Amino acid sequence: MGTYLIRRLLRTALVMLGISLVVFVFVRSIPGDPATVMLGERGTPEAAARLREQLGLNKPWFFNPANPLDAQYPKYVNALLHGDLGSGLKSNIPVRDELRARFPATAELSLSALIFALAVGLPAGVIAALRRNSFWDNVATTISLVGVSMPVFWLGLLLSYFFAVKLGWLPPSARIGNESTLRPISGLYLLDSILRGDGRSFWDVLRHLILPAIALGSIPLAIIARITRSSLLDVLGQDYVRTAKAKGLAPNRVTLKHALRNALLPVVTVIGLQAGALLGGAVLTETIFSWPGIGSWVYDAISQRDYPVIQGGVIFAALVVSVVNLLVDLSYAALDPRIQYR
Amino acid sequence: MKKFLITALLATLPAASAAGTLVFGANGDPVSLESGNITDGISILVQRQIYDTLVDFKDGTTDLKPGLATSWKANADNTAWTFTLRKGVQFTDGTPMNADAIVFNLNRWWDKADPYGFRDQGRTYEIVGDLLGGYKGDASAVIKGIVKVNDTTVRVDLNKPSSVLPNVLAAGYFGIASPAAIKKDGAKYGTPASTPVGTGPFVFQSWQTGDRVTLKANPDYWGTKARVDTVVIRSIKDASQRLNELKAGTIDFANDFTPDALKSIQADKNLVAVKRPSFNVGFVSMNNRNQYLKNDKVRQAIAMAINKKAIVDAFWNGLGTSSASFLPPVMAWANSSKVPADYTYDPAAAKKLLADAGYANGFSIDLWYMPVSRPYFPTPKPIAEAIAADLSGVGIKVNLKTEDWAKYLDDRNKEPGFDMYMIGWTGDYGDPDNFYGAYYGANASDDINWAPANLVSLLEKGRAATSQADKAKVYAQIHEITYNAAYRVPVVHSSPLAAARVYVKGWVPSPLGSESFNTITLLGKK
Repeated sequence: MGTYLIRRLLRTALVMLGISLVVFVFVRSIPGDPATVMLGERGTPEAAARLREQLGLNKPWFFNPANPLDAQYPKYVNALLHGDLGSGLKSNIPVRDELRARFPATAELSLSALIFALAVGLPAGVIAALRRNSFWDNVATTISLVGVSMPVFWLGLLLSYFFAVKLGWLPPSARIGNESTLRPISGLYLLDSILRGDGRSFWDVLRHLILPAIALGSIPLAIIARITRSSLLDVLGQDYVRTAKAKGLAPNRVTLKHALRNALLPVVTVIGLQAGALLGGAVLTETIFSWPGIGSWVYDAISQRDYPVIQGGVIFAALVVSVVNLLVDLSYAALDPRIQYR
Repeated sequence: MKKFLITALLATLPAASAAGTLVFGANGDPVSLESGNITDGISILVQRQIYDTLVDFKDGTTDLKPGLATSWKANADNTAWTFTLRKGVQFTDGTPMNADAIVFNLNRWWDKADPYGFRDQGRTYEIVGDLLGGYKGDASAVIKGIVKVNDTTVRVDLNKPSSVLPNVLAAGYFGIASPAAIKKDGAKYGTPASTPVGTGPFVFQSWQTGDRVTLKANPDYWGTKARVDTVVIRSIKDASQRLNELKAGTIDFANDFTPDALKSIQADKNLVAVKRPSFNVGFVSMNNRNQYLKNDKVRQAIAMAINKKAIVDAFWNGLGTSSASFLPPVMAWANSSKVPADYTYDPAAAKKLLADAGYANGFSIDLWYMPVSRPYFPTPKPIAEAIAADLSGVGIKVNLKTEDWAKYLDDRNKEPGFDMYMIGWTGDYGDPDNFYGAYYGANASDDINWAPANLVSLLEKGRAATSQADKAKVYAQIHEITYNAAYRVPVVHSSPLAAARVYVKGWVPSPLGSESFNTITLLGKK
């Protein structure tokens, strides 16, 4: 187990280095650079050249014959190894600081979305499987079909319009109210309001979290419900379930203790895969809900060609996905004793 | 005794008029709160609240009024401008605003060797290069030197005559910051980890990136003191969500709605639609490198074949006007009386012109439209489709094309460029040079391959002209030349749409896109 973990971590580090190279080349290969966007409509070739020089973008990518260390990628990797991701080209805000400030927002939203998806998706899948081809099965299948096919931005706007503008129940967007006095600790506002013993803020934060979590959680919910249904159906037909039933165990106990536990394995895999999807979905959800997380930040950086931000954001997202997948792999062993890591 | 009575009387007035939190919905985050190093509208908007500029604009216009300078004067040939500073003004950190502070700020932007410019840490101050020709020592730079005459007087010496220096320095890019604060925060100044300090009506409190900037009223402001306690400027990128927030009452006012939101705003009894005075131009550019567009008759035919008025009526909901001038209506004084008010829409005559040019059977051409919404073209794609339909009516087959904004901006300047493309301009200050100079002449982009010598020298002459009467003569000629050449056909001058809750009073939107919020009251906000 220990060596397995070390091997996995080493491999992750190598993958990160590879990703840094790919992103570096990739963002610079897209036509239009930060200078073009910063100058906007007033951009003349001369002004763009002047700005490129000021930003150091005129330097060679990999190798400068005059001064081998004065090239963009070696400098970047060198800084990266020192834990420095650079600064936003225009804002001058260190990418590391911005990640630290924004990751909690994305984490809080993604976790809430995942919890929502599990809380609704799992029972829906179980019910659909147990009452196969019944009315409830049809309802669950239809909802999950709609969940998968409805674009997140559309659903988000719809939710916001209906619950905030029409009914006035929930705030339309943002993480926290205009007059909030919450002083963050961890950056996970829900947790922070509990730590501060601030009930008003807790309620405020929760209200702001509901709509974006539903919007972001809708696709994972649908997928989880479908996987749970089919996986449970699969398991329910197997011999050991029949044996358990034959032993005279209560049907609920058979389903929940024996069948569901084994049916969860593919569900956990899907949750792992969804970690990446959640980060991807966060781009749209965060933009729609003015959520100050990583998704909307990287999205902006891409349209502005802010190289250090795009690089830092992608490397960080890859790291998060790697860690989540590692956790998923480790949880297989916990769910199924037959699986062992060496 | 009299003073006591007045204070006592004032105390009985409703407190609501001088209190409350004003919440603005901006279409994004500021990039930086450091003056001279920004070009985007949201940074300017936030900075306007924190900083003052040397010269200011009268509310709702582009006319100049005193700012931190109470007066300014040029020498006879417009090569040196002297600014007399307001006395007794302090930055909100308690340090004095004086000639040293002004020289410090100007040098920081203009002198590449200035130690407080932090250029080695990525500062670029590109707007100085754009509006003032370059930096210290550059051959093209407008400024030659910045001199402290005495504690309340600063002189700016120029390399070439310019009548517009005070206008340029009034633009929202050039807020005057506290030198002490810059020295204290160093390279961090202007980022969320710093405390920007100015002399403006509001004092910086906090900035959560991607979310909001919070400001407090400056109790010692030298000008009109703010009537609210707090201003929160929220970043709400999505226009539909901005409207949702406004309708839900979670923000008080907001900017940058597309014209199609007008109906929905007008239908809500809690909201008022607010039109910004038009200060932009959206136009179609034609490239001289294209074999068809090289021909004068073809370009004139195209200008005639586009039913601009119908297009503006259809897509701007009454929030735009069409004219034959590059200049927005407020600068009509610089238009030529020999040029008609608008292009004539005459498809039959256009067809005839095309036949004269040898293209009776028409031809096929690319029209590029922008992938982003801009105040001058809020919905570029359907507008491009309408133009294409008009042109197909006279036999010109149009291929509509678009690409990512960064690539678009890049490709238009790369040979061979686009055949025809949509672009525009929003002004920084009220001088015709700010419009013509950006797209014609020596300092303009290279997208149409057309800059005749007489036009270039007229543009130089316009920049040096001292009186408005002299300017009017020069720009009338420029208007005639550019109109007849028809390389760039103005389509619209739009009024960007903003909106507010009904209780927001005293908001005077500036044509330049941002204004101080110190005049706004919130009487009756729940």
